Amino acid sequence: MNALRWWWGILLTFALLGIARVFLPLPFMNEVVIFSIYAMGCNFLIGRVGYISFGQPAYLAFGAYACAFYLFYFGTNPYVGILVGVLGGLIVSLLIGPLFVRLRSDYFAMVNLALAVIVFYLTQKVLVGITHGDNGLWFLTRISSTPLLDLTIPSHFFIFSLLLAALVWAFYKYLDDSIYGACCLATKINENKLQFLGYHNFSIRLLAFVIANSTTALAGAMYAVYLGFVSPEMASPSRAADPVIVTILGGVGTLFGPIVGAIAYTGMKDVISKLIGNWELFIGFLLVFIMLVADKGIWGSLAPVLEKWLFRRKSPDSRGHD
Amino acid sequence: MSREILSVKGLNAAYGEAKVLFDIDMSVNTGQIVACVGRNGAGKTTLLKSIAGFLKPTSGSVTADNTLLSGMKSYDVAKFGVKYIPQDKKVFFDLTVRENLELGSYATKDYNWDQVIAYFPKLRLLMERKAGHLSGGERQMLMIGRAILGRPKVLLIDEPTEGLAPGIVAQLKSTFREISLKTSLLIVEQNLPLVCAIADKVYAVKDGRIVAELGDKESISVAACERYL
Repeated sequence: MNALRWWWGILLTFALLGIARVFLPLPFMNEVVIFSIYAMGCNFLIGRVGYISFGQPAYLAFGAYACAFYLFYFGTNPYVGILVGVLGGLIVSLLIGPLFVRLRSDYFAMVNLALAVIVFYLTQKVLVGITHGDNGLWFLTRISSTPLLDLTIPSHFFIFSLLLAALVWAFYKYLDDSIYGACCLATKINENKLQFLGYHNFSIRLLAFVIANSTTALAGAMYAVYLGFVSPEMASPSRAADPVIVTILGGVGTLFGPIVGAIAYTGMKDVISKLIGNWELFIGFLLVFIMLVADKGIWGSLAPVLEKWLFRRKSPDSRGHD
Repeated sequence: MSREILSVKGLNAAYGEAKVLFDIDMSVNTGQIVACVGRNGAGKTTLLKSIAGFLKPTSGSVTADNTLLSGMKSYDVAKFGVKYIPQDKKVFFDLTVRENLELGSYATKDYNWDQVIAYFPKLRLLMERKAGHLSGGERQMLMIGRAILGRPKVLLIDEPTEGLAPGIVAQLKSTFREISLKTSLLIVEQNLPLVCAIADKVYAVKDGRIVAELGDKESISVAACERYL
């Protein structure tokens, strides 16, 4: 029954996203779907492992540039490009993960921010020969058409990204339900206690780091294919808080949080930026307000109300003590 | 036939410059319940942490089943079968009872929960409840139940009855006896009547040293233990 409820929920969510495409502009919908994938990795890190990372743009850029290098210098198939992007993020995460996951949350946040700064300057100044610096790499016309879902067509890209987002969501749902998901949560709650049971916290955190950042790299690669262009701006430290904001806005540690957060954040950005010049200021105030009145985020606050309304029964936990 | 399962020889431990344990010698045999008694600050918890690998001894050795544990990481000590149940009863409060037990099962590859339910039948009714919503006694049951998965060689239990209702303490008393048939227990406890009821051997710890060893049932009494507190 519980599984049915979850799958029903995600099917409905993605069906709604598909229907929303009829009423909302395609670029907006593509942005929402890719951003929700971006936020899923961040959500897993914060919600399950307790790691806040302000360096997610760096992993986004690793995925985007790996994909872009392939499409600019070597090949034309966008699916291969996306795969190369994910592999790029995976390899980088495996290389730097063992150094970073030794740190606790505050230092982890800062060292990742430092990484974003490094990647930004590497792509902007140091590796200009291959990244073309601020001019970026343009390869939209190099991307070849593919059968079935042609990613050069935005509407096809939307279907592809929607399917991919559903798959990524299902993967995180599986992780959350697995014993590994419980291990991640346990290491967040009390790492010492987990060691008492014979678990190696380092391995648990490293795997989580690699999974989350590979997801972020996937989002990066999708941005690269969708836009047909990458620039150092992607790794800009000024955008470091974006995935964290989306995660918090949606509801930390909730499965629907990244999707809801991405819709809310992209929507606010889209609507408010058309009305007000300094839209970031308004969003800043809005976030402060949300933190004060609903610290569980939009989905975290709405979910219990919706569940009660839809299923008309209390969960076993809400009964309190016998 | 009882044999030595845990042996501590010449153990010294310190927190930075502050030396806490001095030349500790002790042993636990199979099927035994061994208790450590002493005042607060005597070094009992430090002793358990040193055995469990959470505190690196400055010198001395800890051996379990002829394997040297000193120098092993805490998770390797637990994997080897020497498990520590800390005093604070902090289970993984965001996880359900079932998930807490699954963590124990996954680490040990022992998915037979019948033994756990046999010792603590109440846990069966609480499977889907978040561990953070359990009472102190239920949490203690969960921690012990989770720890006995995989049939560890030795359980190191820190103050198991602290803050528990007398009814729960009485239940734990008989449960410890049953568990000790398969797993030896080294318990740090201030509840002297409980210690005297279940312990096969008692070590009195004072100022980081073992000041007495009551090695047989006849010599273990509340009065005898109190002499060293």
